[in-house]
Amino acid sequence: MFTHFTFLDAGIVGFYLLLTIIAGLAVRKYVGKVEHYLVAGREMNLYLGIASLAATEFGIVTCMYTAQNGFKMGFAGATPGILQTIAMLVVGITGFCIKPLRDAGVMTIPELFEKRFGPTIRWLAGVVIVLGGLLNMGVFLRTGGEFLLLTAGFDPQAFAQSYHLEIMMTILLVIVALYTVLGGMLSVLVTDFLQFIIMSLSMLVVTVLIFAKIGWTPLVEAVQKHHGPAGFNPFLMERGWEFVLFNLCLQFAVVLTWQAVIQRILSAKSTKTGKQIYMHTSFFFTARFLIPGLWGIAALATLAPEQIGGNTLYAMPKFLSTFLPTGLMGILIAGMLAADMSTDSAYMLTWGGVIYNDILAPFRRKKQWSEKKGVLINRFIVGCIGMFLLFYGLWYPLKGNLWDYLGVTGTIYLSSMSVLLIACCYWKDANNWGAMGAIILGALFPIGFLVLQQLPATAEWAQHVGPYKSGIASYIASGTAMIIGSLLKKFLVKKKEPSY
Amino acid sequence: MSYFWLLLAIFCIVWYSTMTFYVGVRGFFDIKEMLLALKSDETSSIKEE
Repeated sequence: MFTHFTFLDAGIVGFYLLLTIIAGLAVRKYVGKVEHYLVAGREMNLYLGIASLAATEFGIVTCMYTAQNGFKMGFAGATPGILQTIAMLVVGITGFCIKPLRDAGVMTIPELFEKRFGPTIRWLAGVVIVLGGLLNMGVFLRTGGEFLLLTAGFDPQAFAQSYHLEIMMTILLVIVALYTVLGGMLSVLVTDFLQFIIMSLSMLVVTVLIFAKIGWTPLVEAVQKHHGPAGFNPFLMERGWEFVLFNLCLQFAVVLTWQAVIQRILSAKSTKTGKQIYMHTSFFFTARFLIPGLWGIAALATLAPEQIGGNTLYAMPKFLSTFLPTGLMGILIAGMLAADMSTDSAYMLTWGGVIYNDILAPFRRKKQWSEKKGVLINRFIVGCIGMFLLFYGLWYPLKGNLWDYLGVTGTIYLSSMSVLLIACCYWKDANNWGAMGAIILGALFPIGFLVLQQLPATAEWAQHVGPYKSGIASYIASGTAMIIGSLLKKFLVKKKEPSY
Repeated sequence: MSYFWLLLAIFCIVWYSTMTFYVGVRGFFDIKEMLLALKSDETSSIKEE
């Protein structure tokens, strides 16, 4: 396959990697307590918070699914980004849920739940968060590896039969794990900052080049030809209303409870800083869908169907592999590596933080662990997550749209956690019966959908139902369970202390 | 409808370029401030012990 990737590009990538490792390892000496390791001692200020949130929430996997959305849905594929901007702006301005959460001084969301719903719900919420989060993150590595190899000009058939992808993924993960394990949130923040700059520059340069070389009109014509009016208006798409409604629920839930996002609020210097981070970063979420979406549309406009093959996920990297000149190719790959590494490191730390803080909480009740032991256990957990990612990422066969998979796995916990958080902050009658029902029903629909999708006997039926209906059902069921469960306990059980 | 997406795309590029530059400069000072605060926190913890 023809490519512009040369030794100059490889040099740029190598230099970037070296810089990241040095920066990531340099700050590990500042980690003395668990609070430093998990939330950077709550010393993160506004601009570092913006850079970190943007870098964390944009990985290669983001670039791949947003470009796939652009390729398969046209401009309408950027709708989830616009919805997330609205959600972040609303929550940032009003402080809805995030204000009481930050004011509570907790390190994770389940920790707040314990104050209202008791230790069992804290533990269960931790399990559901980790389950949904790790399944979600499981596809990051393989997708990232596929992007890098395709953009560098490797043939998909060739890397399916060799171990290039696996070797590259392992090296990447080892580098990320190295500085995350040692430096925790501090390393994540410093490398996120570096990665934000490199990633943003590469994204902007590539997009401007697409405008200059291909132009706007061919992009519009390609969308019109392949998707018609539905390529511009999401409501005209097949299952358009379902798509918009599911994404609206999903984006509000992400903004309120996605642990990787919330961790920036919890690490912020103050509640006001946290709210400002949300407001100032809100428009980034439109950009993160629209910019790679334009790359996907450019692939639609310039590549013949035989060049793309059967997998629409590969269209954008295949387009970039021949479109970008030498030098710029290296900057893009360094930028995308930056994007991927910042996401992987932050996510590993995030889920690791929940495992330590909430799932292992019962083991700390009798005797508190020392700070040194706490940091050591956190490092061990992050290392274990790295191992899980490596193996899960290798064998899970992804079916259907990548964004849909991420939406469904995320919903396993997003639906119930958003319901629990809202109820915890604003409904005085909410209790542990309602919380338990919300967690179980919230996870049931998306997990059921994933299982049915993988079984040959039910795959067709799952396809017919689609990911949006199961996702919407999960939010409705979770909310209903919280109301019914809480009211049932209120009327059936006599109040005694402590009441959850 | 295509004009809506054109305007949004142009705004995205302009806004993102500005944000990258501004956050790039101010974020650097935030890191410096954060590390200094953590260093003083560490020093005071040692003194307390």
